[in-house]
Order: sequence, then C-alpha cells, then structure tokens
Amino acid sequence: MRNVLLALCAVWLLTGGAGEVPGGPGGTAPADNPLAGDPKAIQDGEVLYKRVSCHGCHGGNARGGNGPDLTDDEWQRAPSDQMIFNTIKFGRKGTMMSPFKDDLTDDQIWALVSYLRYLGEQRKAEGK
Amino acid sequence: MSARAGIGMLRAVCAVLIGAVLFTSAGAAEVKHTPVTDAMLLNAGKDGNNWLMAGRDYSGTRFSPLKQIDTRNVGKLVPVWTFSFGVLDAQNTTPLVVDGVMYVTSSHGRIFAVDARNGTMLWQYNHPLPDEVGKFMCCDLGNRGAAVYKDKVFYATPDSHVIALDRATGKVVWDVTIADWTKAYTMTVAPLIVKGKVVVGMSGAEYPTRLWIEALDTETGKQAWRTYTIPGPGEFGFDTWGNTDPEAWKFGGGSAWITGSYDPQLDILYWSVGNPNPDWDGMNRKGDNLYTNSTLALNPDNGDIKFYFQYTPWDVWDYDGNNETILADINGKKVWLHGDRNGFLYKIDRTNGKFIWGKEISKVNWATGFTAEGRPIVNPDKVTNYEKKVTNVCPASEGGKWWNPMSYNPQLQMVFVPSREICVDLLAGPSERVEGKYNLGIAEADWHKGHGQLVAFDAVTGEKKWTVKAPSPFTSGVLTTAGGLTFAGTPEGLFNAYDSKTGKELWSYQTGSGIVGSPVSFMIDGRQYVAIPSGWGGWTGWATWGGRGGAPHLKDNRKGGYLTVFALFQ
Repeated sequence: MRNVLLALCAVWLLTGGAGEVPGGPGGTAPADNPLAGDPKAIQDGEVLYKRVSCHGCHGGNARGGNGPDLTDDEWQRAPSDQMIFNTIKFGRKGTMMSPFKDDLTDDQIWALVSYLRYLGEQRKAEGK
Repeated sequence: MSARAGIGMLRAVCAVLIGAVLFTSAGAAEVKHTPVTDAMLLNAGKDGNNWLMAGRDYSGTRFSPLKQIDTRNVGKLVPVWTFSFGVLDAQNTTPLVVDGVMYVTSSHGRIFAVDARNGTMLWQYNHPLPDEVGKFMCCDLGNRGAAVYKDKVFYATPDSHVIALDRATGKVVWDVTIADWTKAYTMTVAPLIVKGKVVVGMSGAEYPTRLWIEALDTETGKQAWRTYTIPGPGEFGFDTWGNTDPEAWKFGGGSAWITGSYDPQLDILYWSVGNPNPDWDGMNRKGDNLYTNSTLALNPDNGDIKFYFQYTPWDVWDYDGNNETILADINGKKVWLHGDRNGFLYKIDRTNGKFIWGKEISKVNWATGFTAEGRPIVNPDKVTNYEKKVTNVCPASEGGKWWNPMSYNPQLQMVFVPSREICVDLLAGPSERVEGKYNLGIAEADWHKGHGQLVAFDAVTGEKKWTVKAPSPFTSGVLTTAGGLTFAGTPEGLFNAYDSKTGKELWSYQTGSGIVGSPVSFMIDGRQYVAIPSGWGGWTGWATWGGRGGAPHLKDNRKGGYLTVFALFQ
C-alpha cells in the first residue's frame, strides 16, 4: 500500500501536482507540441529565445547560466512538452521564472519548445 | 493500553511539556526594541554588541571589535541556532542586530525580526511581489539587507518599493514606489541612514535604463533628493556619451545597488556607480560614459556631486564598478579603499578624489598600468567590437573582486578581498534597445575555468600579505574581528575562519548551500555570536555559462535559504 501511495505521489509530482504551473490557469495546452520538429518553428524559436531574453538566464545556447541548463539529459527527459509550454506561459511562482503569457502567443511558445527540443537533440548528438 | 504504549504516550506528553516550557521560556524572555539614534549610528564602529548597518559602520569596514572568539578558540565555534527564510534563491543579505533583535532580509522580498539569542521569529513581512518581476532582474530576486533608525526598519524590494516597518510589530508605516519595475528599474540595495534620510540606489544596468541614487525622509518616505548617475543635457559629463547615438545617455545604465559609506567629519556620502548599458558594446557610446564605474562624493543634504573618481572609463568589459568604498584613516591620511571588478584595489584620497595607488587583486591584462591621475592605460588587444573577438581577457566581468563586500581591519591596517582568477573571451554584438528587455551588447562570452582566492593586502602599501586559493571564487562578504579572525564563505557552502595575519584556515563549517551573503558578529549577554546567511543564487553565469564557464563544477549547485548562527561551545 505504501508503495502504491508513493507511486501515486511520484506521478502527482511528476505531472506537476506540487507546483502551480502544469495546466496553468485554464490548463488548455495540448499534451504534445503541434509544431514538434517543424524547421520553421525551430528557427522562430531561436529568434524568440533571444527576443524575450531567455538567454539572459539560461545562456546563449540554453546550456545554463543563472537558470538551469535546458539541454542536458536530466532536464530534457523530465518534463513533457506540455509542462515546458506551461512553464513558459505561466512561469513558476516563487522562482525567477516569470510568466510570458503577455509576451508570447501559444504558437510562439510552441516554437520555443521546438527550439529547446532541437537543442537537446543537438547536444545528444554531440555526446556531451 | 499496553505498558509499552503507555510509556510511549508518556514520552510524547513529556516532550510536548518540555517543548512548551522551552517555547514559553524563549517567548517570555524580554525583547527590547531600543530606538536607534544618530549617535548610535555615528558610533557604530565602536559598538561591538550591535551590527547597525550593512557595512557595520559608516566607514563600511565590516570589522567587529569583539574578541571573545579568537584565533586560539575559534575551533570551538558551534552552531547555536538556524533560521529558515522559507524561500530559495540568492540570499545576498547582511543581517542587522540591535540589542538582541536581528532584522534580516531574504530573497523574494521578505524581511524578518528574530530574537538573536535563540532564533525565535518575532515577526515577518512578505512584500507581495508581481509574478513577472523576475524577468526584469538580471541577477535573481535577492536583497542585500535592511537599515534601522529610531523605531523603524527599512528595506527595498525587487519591484522598487522602499518600505518602512515598525521594528516592534513588523507593521508597515509607509511604503513608497520609487520606480517602474516593468521597465527594469529594480532594487536589491541595503539602504543607508544618513542625517535622518534613508538613502537607496537602483539596479537595472543590464537593461536600457538611466539609474539613480535617492534619499527619502525616514518619517514619511517623501523624496528628499534624487541624483542621476548619468548627467543630463547641460550637466557636467553629458558630453562623455559620444555623438553617434543621441539617446545613449538616456539609457546608459549606471546602477547603484551597493550601499555607500559616509564620513561625518567631511560630511560626504560616498556611493559607487556600476556599468554602462549596453554592457559590452561600446560602439555607440564612445567616451568616458560618466559617471559609470565611478565613486561619487555626494552632499548628503541635497545629493549634489562634489567630486568623483572613475575606475573604468568607456567600459566594454562589464566591469560594473559599483562596489563599496571602505573609509580608512591610514597614517593620518583620509582615504577610501575600493576593490573593483576591473581587477584593481584602489586607494583614493577621500578629501578630493585623487588617486594614490592601484594594485592588482587578480591577473589584469585589459590595462597595462595607470596614468599619474589613476586613469587605466587600456590594452587595445583586449577591446572587443562587432568584428573583433578578444580572447583571454583578465579579469572577466566579475573581477578581480566581485560585488561581495571586502573588510578592513584598522588594527592591522589590512584589507581582505574575496576574489577570483577567471578570464574570458568576448565578442561584442549589437543588441536591440527595448525598455524592459536585456540589452547586453554581446555576441559571444566564454568564461575560462579558473579558481577562487581570498587576498589580504597591506592597506598602507598595497602589498599582498597572503592569498588563500580555493576551487571556486569566494562569493561571500568578508568579516574581520579584533579576535584576529577573517571569516569568508564559498559557493560550496563552506563558511571558513582564517588567521588574519597569516591566512591559515582555523575553522570550517558546511552551511548546506552556497554562500552569497555576508557574515556579521554581535554580542548578547556577554556571548559573542557570528551569523552567516546561505542560499545559492544571483548571477551565476560566470560559473557555468554555456555548459562550460569559470567554475563548471557548480552546475546545478544546491539552493537554500537560511541563516546559521554560531557561538563558542559552552
């Protein structure tokens, strides 16, 4: 029973139950990125990454600065596309991660998700 | 009920009773809220019991005259209480102590009053922060400390409120907003009380801003004066912003988030100013860019600039020169000491701003020396532009000496500088000027792996007396004491005590998270305490930027948010 409870807790935590982010207000984001792998979206994401100052915290190539490295295995494996989307859109309350819902449309956020996934794949290919 | 269960219940009841008694004892102990007078502030340097302002005294020495804890017994230092701030991220604070009550700020806009004998919280105030404010702050939601005067405690918040609270109750007396955080005008500074005014300075020079130093009435919060750190049209120095961009001055940064110092005899307030914006791109602001990277000597009554000394004219390295000035009287000479991120320790005549000497804290190659007036002789090989990548520039933006305050021991006439040896490759790049958005002017920045060091200087001659090396930069402020001790902390969370004369490590304690705040010492009922905040955060790009950085082993360094207080075991 204890293990079941622990497992349920883990699922709850992993799906964001402990935070304020996943789903966010309204929680309407689709589970998967509709622009996944789209080269144009990746390109747009790269531009947006700088325009909204993601690089200021996460570094020019998202490999970390003040904020966490968004390309390493540990980070890339953990969150779903939806969680990344919601984190960008609604922020993480009580941290430096601010909501960007007033700066970016949903499509732009998905473009950023695509770009981050692309960087993660690139890093994996480099074997670093 | 079985006998075993009965015993268990009895134990629980006993524990509750004991806890209740202890809690009642702690709570019942008398807590005083002694009014802080001008005389107390003027004599703070001699008052070992209290720690009344961020720099401890108007000279900013961070030197405690206490000597109960000394080089012989420091090994018996043990933690006596800890206090959680309840939040993570950069704990940049310097706690204050007034007659046994500690006032300590934390990240995310919080302030606490704590019984400094036992860590019992007396009150807390959590300023409600807008969710979005983080994206308008380059370097985390930290705060560098509070100020106390009469019956109030004052602090500044990330969204640019300056707040006065009743020291006894934590109730807000006044709360004024002095800037628009949505345009990246933000605050992390520990205020300074001077002649009945609370003086603060702005953050935000990584964004297009024009920043300032401001004095407010301590009773009402009403503005007494504001001095912009960048001259406007018609003012002296306006012509130092070049002629290619007519609005360069208007968005030229010049932050002022390190607490100043005050000389009551000269009646001068010394306050330093940080980097120009864009940080690394100097193409459209050719000139000295006054008063960035300077210390201003101000009239505390009206904010007028009496004189200044500029450390790094036309900064294209982000040598954010707003570090503290320590006022010292050395062999009859009134000077200020300033460790700069440009790699030099300066000694300046504080009666007139004239250069006495500059000595290397760390390796310096962006400049090859000084003119007689103290102007750095720039090495053109280390000046970047859009087409020219420069490599192995020493030091990197964080120095030398970063923002963490150094300490001056007047008995030894020595200054103790938290430092690092990290160099960087830079390529400037044009960036779009949009209010509220980063404007760094950098295309590439690669910090080289380096190491940390704590460096002790003879303040008379500038000679290095000793250097302690460490795997990571020393990122805490420094405390020195009349017990012959120098305390400093590391990103790994180690809080260390050294023999001030030799640099020999005498004691070390793992606080649990990286230290980016400053230690203090105080005495209550005849017992000396040392306190250190810990909680990793702030600008940490230098450590791990791009997966490499100056200290890549600090990737995913543990966060925290607490205070640990030590005394001799008894």
